[in-house]
Amino acid sequence: MDFGSLIMAAATNKIDMISSTLMITEERKKQIDFSDPYIKLGASLFIRKNSPAIEQSGKMKVLDDIAGKTVGVYAGTIHDAFVEENYPTAVIKRFNTPADIILSLKMEKIDVAMMDLVSANLMLRTNPEIGILSEDALTLPVAAGFRKDNPELLNSFNQYLKEIKEDGTYDKMYKRWFIDDPEKAEMPKFEFDKNAPLITLAVAVGDLPNSAIVNGEHVGFDVELIKTFAERKGYNLKINTMEFAALIAALASGKADIIADGMSVTEERKKHVAFCDNYNVFKTAVLVLNKNLDSKTASVINSNETEEPFLENSFLKSITDSFHSNIIQENRYLLIIDGLRTTIIISILATLLGTFLGGLICFMRMSRKRLLLIPAKVYISLLRGTPVLVVLMIIFYVVFASVDIDPVLVAVIAFGLNFAAYVSEMFRTGIEGVDRGQTEAGIAMGFTKVSTFINIILPQAVRRILPVYKGEVISLVKMTSIVGYIAVQDLTKASDIIRSRTFDAFFPLIMVAVLYFLISWLLMVLLGYIERKANPKFKTYRA
Amino acid sequence: MIKVEHLEKKFGDLTVLKDINVEIHKGEVISIIGPSGTGKSTFLRCLNLLEIPTGGKIFIDGIDILDKNTDVPKLRQKMGMVFQSFNLFNHLTVLDNLTIGQIKLLGKSKEESEKRGMELLKLVGLAEKADSFADELSGGQKQRVAIARCLSMDPEIILFDEPTSALDPTMVSEVLAVIRRLAKEGMTMAIVTHEMDFARDVSKRVFYMDEGLIYEDGPPSQIFGNPQKEKTKAFINRIRSFNYHIDNPDFDFYEMNAEIEAFCEKHAFSHKAINNILLVVEELIVLYKTQSEVINIDLSIAYSEKHNNIEIVFESTGREGNIIENAEPDDIGAMIIKSKTENLEYKRVNEKNILSMFVKKG
Repeated sequence: MDFGSLIMAAATNKIDMISSTLMITEERKKQIDFSDPYIKLGASLFIRKNSPAIEQSGKMKVLDDIAGKTVGVYAGTIHDAFVEENYPTAVIKRFNTPADIILSLKMEKIDVAMMDLVSANLMLRTNPEIGILSEDALTLPVAAGFRKDNPELLNSFNQYLKEIKEDGTYDKMYKRWFIDDPEKAEMPKFEFDKNAPLITLAVAVGDLPNSAIVNGEHVGFDVELIKTFAERKGYNLKINTMEFAALIAALASGKADIIADGMSVTEERKKHVAFCDNYNVFKTAVLVLNKNLDSKTASVINSNETEEPFLENSFLKSITDSFHSNIIQENRYLLIIDGLRTTIIISILATLLGTFLGGLICFMRMSRKRLLLIPAKVYISLLRGTPVLVVLMIIFYVVFASVDIDPVLVAVIAFGLNFAAYVSEMFRTGIEGVDRGQTEAGIAMGFTKVSTFINIILPQAVRRILPVYKGEVISLVKMTSIVGYIAVQDLTKASDIIRSRTFDAFFPLIMVAVLYFLISWLLMVLLGYIERKANPKFKTYRA
Repeated sequence: MIKVEHLEKKFGDLTVLKDINVEIHKGEVISIIGPSGTGKSTFLRCLNLLEIPTGGKIFIDGIDILDKNTDVPKLRQKMGMVFQSFNLFNHLTVLDNLTIGQIKLLGKSKEESEKRGMELLKLVGLAEKADSFADELSGGQKQRVAIARCLSMDPEIILFDEPTSALDPTMVSEVLAVIRRLAKEGMTMAIVTHEMDFARDVSKRVFYMDEGLIYEDGPPSQIFGNPQKEKTKAFINRIRSFNYHIDNPDFDFYEMNAEIEAFCEKHAFSHKAINNILLVVEELIVLYKTQSEVINIDLSIAYSEKHNNIEIVFESTGREGNIIENAEPDDIGAMIIKSKTENLEYKRVNEKNILSMFVKKG
């Protein structure tokens, strides 16, 4: 039969055995069982150098082969600029966590991944199907960034770097995180003087060894370096987590005093950031799937041992393992619970603020006084015409740039403002939908204007508004998933952090989806209850 | 009880009420009639300040209600209002419509107000609908509930703003019956209405409103039987006539015929007379259409009880000339018209051709 139909035939019991120089691939394993391999087959054997077949098969052997490929980079890193400059034909996909890059590579959404060498080596350990194309695509010094208007802090830090390099503290730290297994490295305990001047460190929790969250604690080389600095020089330290791409903006807008996360020093960044002396070098690894790697040049990774757990895998076991590594290990459920709480707090407070403000805007919008009417109209069109993410970032980075404000509060304000613009129009249609005669009847009966509104109009308007309002609340809950942009650890961010450690897409994403659904569903039930309460017919028919 | 002095109401440049001076006494039932657009409803709505007058004064029991210090909501409690469109509170049951005012405004207890509410529902014959909602009632039932709702506030006067205009003809009488009953019990009422028979029967005084004024004010026998002023006479005559305007060659002929028949039946014309009217009207229109490029007809059919005759007036624009005389001598339409009518007259007034004739009844 055709080669292409062999596996299908076996899978559907048409034949009992296939023997046709069939290579063992994960894809095929899903359909059929293989015997132990009896010959190792190098795909490149069949293909001549530089033949069109090589181009087509996508096998790569040198760095320059990434030209024309889809390359995944960590957004805002120098890789981004590097690829753009040197390989203009490459398609660049920007990701927010290394975990996403690896996942996309595994799922062949991208052909090539670029990341720092240390992270890359860690990933290779758990992902046998990935190989290294190049280990030193780009080497740059790494330093922590400081605000340009605060040279004292920078000088103090440089002084500190010299000291620790001299007294051997630096070497110990470096050995622990970069030479030994960073997964096993332990952070020393730190004591900060609560009354000392507070400095804020912003990190992106990419992964070890630079910076990560393990057991709910910020750990990593960069974190330890700065924590040690704060302790020695007598500062109180606060650590914020945000997207890597947002670090420099946070520094520039005064949201952070120091930023550090394996950040390499580039000319571009120097314009916005004062870098300390470099404390590390940054090497870039270029990763591709082993099957796309020309076998002659492939740095063969010890893939044989690591494949084992996969062989005896059942679906149930993989779920259990996934559950264990994503939820139990390193107390990751704490992250989820914290994130869940943050999401709920933001959702509820933003709904309350937005409803209250929406009522006010609606009142202004329905007023006949131009002084009230015009601002309300402007407010509604502005807020409805701007993406809520942009509003969120404007409030965080521009409006409250120089104010030390809890980002959760910023999120509540941003979503509240946005929600208000939408619901105020909803309220207005609801109120205007009540027949004018109802107001007249109330007033003619002897009610004042206000008591007519409360006793006659409002109960009828609420009934009209609730069904749409319900939908708006739910969409607000889901919209809060973008608060990660301003360093709030909500449910989505918690799953990002977990994924950055476990490189598992399935479990964290599905779990977060389920949790969002549950929040929305509970809200729907609650609002549905209120809706029935507001329906007079329901009340009396029950009674 | 109510005294109105020089009341004036303008909507922008449009003067609706010019100079109204009138007094309403306790126990009076007043009907307000007149052509549409003459400010009848506006006048009524000014009395409880649903519309704010632009001039003049209104006194209720000697209190100037336009004075800034007057507690208007309090005064409104004493003046019930029944609307053309009922305006029952849709979110409340029928009974709750009757108790909300008593509880929230009069401060009565729930039990007390429900007891009073049920009494009033019995009065208007709707006790069994106490737990229904407005959208489950017919128009007539809604209006009766609305009247009961007014009564629940123990008002000193009730203002009725065209209470039967939005009702199916079959439901008019049930509402009028309730109002008649209230009149008998001595309730002070002011009623804007188009039901002339009802106005004649039930009221002590009739206001004929026109030109933004109370044009003529008198007992029903005077207004309906022997109006003193020119416009009142014309109006009273007109309500005894049928009017139809045609400005489109493709007008709805069947609708017009149906309306003519309805008018004729109301005045109990003989079958023969009805047929003659329909025939004459049809032939007049056909003749006019064949002789004129533009179509613009005002048709009126009037019945005079006194002289016991039916008059058709056919007013049209276009070239001067009598369409019947201008027709061919053997035109069958012209012959039919001549044979079915008498006293055929032609006039040219204000660029209009006016044909008038009396229809033979036999």
